[in-house]
Amino acid sequence: MKEIIKITISLTAICVAAALILGAVFAKTEDVRKKNQEKIKEETIQGLLGFGHGKKAPEDLKIFPVQRYVVSEPKATLLGYLVPLKDKGYALVTVDLAGKPLKAIPLKADAAKIADAGTRDAAVKEALPKDAKATYADTVYVANLGDKRLGYVVPGVTQGFKTFVNLMVSLNPDFTVTGIEITKSEEDPGLGDEIKRDYFKNQFKGKTLEILKTLKVVKEPLPTDYLVALDPSKSKATQDQIGQISEKHLKDDIYALTGATISSRAVTNGVKETVRKFVYRFGILADVMKQENVQAAF
Amino acid sequence: MNRNVTLLWNGLIPENPIFRLALSLCPAVAVTTSVKNGLYLGIAVIFVQVLSSCTVSIFKSLIHPRIRIPAYVIVIALWVSVIDMVLSAYDPHTYEKIELFIKLIVVFAIIISRLELFASKEPLVPSFFDGLGMGIGFTFGLCLVSAIREFFGLGQIFGQDIVDLKFLVMILPAGGFFVIGFVMATFNWIEYKITGKIPASGGGH
Repeated sequence: MKEIIKITISLTAICVAAALILGAVFAKTEDVRKKNQEKIKEETIQGLLGFGHGKKAPEDLKIFPVQRYVVSEPKATLLGYLVPLKDKGYALVTVDLAGKPLKAIPLKADAAKIADAGTRDAAVKEALPKDAKATYADTVYVANLGDKRLGYVVPGVTQGFKTFVNLMVSLNPDFTVTGIEITKSEEDPGLGDEIKRDYFKNQFKGKTLEILKTLKVVKEPLPTDYLVALDPSKSKATQDQIGQISEKHLKDDIYALTGATISSRAVTNGVKETVRKFVYRFGILADVMKQENVQAAF
Repeated sequence: MNRNVTLLWNGLIPENPIFRLALSLCPAVAVTTSVKNGLYLGIAVIFVQVLSSCTVSIFKSLIHPRIRIPAYVIVIALWVSVIDMVLSAYDPHTYEKIELFIKLIVVFAIIISRLELFASKEPLVPSFFDGLGMGIGFTFGLCLVSAIREFFGLGQIFGQDIVDLKFLVMILPAGGFFVIGFVMATFNWIEYKITGKIPASGGGH
């Protein structure tokens, strides 16, 4: 009997000590981790827009995040878009599930409040009726160069080989894909993990909305000349040559990675879905803003 | 020879965790598709092994013998979590690459085996060198296997194209077993040539 008490105390003490150490380390590192993650996200977005890798983003590049919320009211479910306004304020533009515009609710918040997830959720909740519940869904980024629209960066999720693959797609104002980036994935190293390589990601570059609609994955070897254009860092092709080759293969389907057809297909479907949903949602949002006369900052 | 040096050497070749002790073969097959992966995981294992060995060696008198296994697991899990958190905060780019494997280190047989067989009986300094030797030996094993697999499977070493060779089975898990088997056999053959004795399996564990 005495021994069991000793064992219990000993094991409890070990667990408590371990928990304390972990808690202390977590408290010390969590803020740094969050800050670094924000920084990486920012870099990814800028990279997708064509800046980074030594090319500095111009001063007049402005990236506006637009958060989407799912608002559950007792009677109906709505979608709310958190739109930055021209005169420094923010508005929650609500739309019903069929795409019918509802109203724009002004928000009491400033940029700092919107940047932090916690205070942003609180601000949205405050603007809504008391019995409504708002759940954060995702954020799309609208990029302007001066007053001109540069493009959009849209996040997406897709079911990979085992777990989910998070990706980001950048589009130009005509909704042509200008690049994709895999932000989080757990595909097998050496096989599915190759989706992160340039020669795979660059295959999506230049695909228009029309091409994307019928885009498939084919199990054919990647043509050698195409590979040169897809991975410019490894070849000495000039910009013109790359442009020509890319033009020639523009309407090609996506060439599956060797030994990773499922991952290739997952990314392709993910990009298609992400773009399709974004174009649909953004169209509705633009209509609503016009109708309600919301002067967005972008 | 100095005992600490012997301990270091011991982990590297005579008791190499992968080829001689045949421990932690799962990660050795799973992550050795490229030298980079092997190296990153190996370095993470060195840290976990050394820190766990030292911790257990210091607190061995406080750990009740009947609950030593759960206590070891908590110690290992603690250090793995600490490394995981610190790395994800301060070096997110490296973390991105080893995120997948780092949490798996908790269940690596080699670590708990060294705690049980060595650190729980020996003082701090030898435990440190034993952990370091085992970690380096493990890293060496991973790098050797992954270099062979990456070369034959992708025609690359460290992500650099070397020859135009794509023998896909080497990258698939089956290739991992082949390579580990062949390297193990080579080690045994060398030992047989040197000592003239047929090596005992599993390094005696």
